[in-house]
Amino acid sequence: MNRNIIVAAAFFGIVIIVIAGFSSYYFSLLEAQNMPMIKPTSMINLENGSPALGSESAPITIVEFGDYQCESCYYWFHNTRSTLIDNYIETGKAKLVFVDLPFLGRDSITAAQASYCAEDQGKYWEYHTILYTFQDGAPDSGWANQDRLNSFAFTLEMNMDEFNDCMDSSKYKIRVKANYSEAVKQGAQATPTFIIISSDGTTKKFAGAQPYSVFAATIESML
Amino acid sequence: MFSSYPYVLVAGIIFVCMFIPLSILSEFLFIEPLFVIHVIEDRAFSFTLLVAISFMSAVVIPMNIYRIRTLQKSTTKIGGSLLGSIIGASAGICSCGPIGFSIISTFGTVAGTATAFLTYYEIPLRLVSLGLLCLVYYTTAKSISIKCKIQ
Repeated sequence: MNRNIIVAAAFFGIVIIVIAGFSSYYFSLLEAQNMPMIKPTSMINLENGSPALGSESAPITIVEFGDYQCESCYYWFHNTRSTLIDNYIETGKAKLVFVDLPFLGRDSITAAQASYCAEDQGKYWEYHTILYTFQDGAPDSGWANQDRLNSFAFTLEMNMDEFNDCMDSSKYKIRVKANYSEAVKQGAQATPTFIIISSDGTTKKFAGAQPYSVFAATIESML
Repeated sequence: MFSSYPYVLVAGIIFVCMFIPLSILSEFLFIEPLFVIHVIEDRAFSFTLLVAISFMSAVVIPMNIYRIRTLQKSTTKIGGSLLGSIIGASAGICSCGPIGFSIISTFGTVAGTATAFLTYYEIPLRLVSLGLLCLVYYTTAKSISIKCKIQ
């Protein structure tokens, strides 16, 4: 009998913990939603981020905080990004800036540095694309090790001496660290996290590999 | 047993408590800024397994509660069903998500490897979990029907 009571109590305890945990998470989200969303654009420092994809004069800025080894970023890249580019970036309504939040492993940091070495040769977005195209397996499993990063650069017909010198010097280590700090400062606690900034400085933040419809609704409400 | 209203209620609560948080953590369900369910083709099988685990947990756990309460049987099988549910629940929690971020930021690389394991072996772990729940369902159903026939 005592054993039955213990099992029943344990079971209801688990159910209560799950309900309490979820409620707490849900209410914290509601609280965050109810907070004023207006934040001056100048509060977000994008100077260490990627070059903007799209027109510099676009009224909407989409900031993506991401990690090259993150599986959700991969899904977003392959399922949502291209439609967003077709409908908002190529039409001049929005521009995209990628800010590194490399937390999943050591290869995330070197991959981010490599992307800026590619930027030196005018191939940031091509390198960014190749990283998300060839993402394969768990973090630090070797798909983004130094040899693979070099092979990606070689595939893009970059100057390998220049690329290797850039990587060896770790000249973008501080830039990547600065991006990480900026992401954390902006409250990004997952990758991808997006901040959509309108021309009047209003911002909306959300996380996860969300579908195109969410971006379209958010951007349209801010145009 | 499921003709009894309290057991149906418990089953419903378990299904909701498993399905909604797990869908959010596995990034199938988003509640901010819009409430939206998003299942991409690549992850459809994973979503199906998540629904199956939530459903099986909602069936097996009340069956074991019934078995323990009504038939005064041992509590071993409920342990199996809880284990199955916990394995299924922990698999696939995205290491890129807020839980993964908090764990990795706090505990570092070792925790990163653990969360990556749960993410990248999501489907095998969920299949193991489902297998365990099916096994517990089979043995529990057998145990209940034998006992009922004898009685």
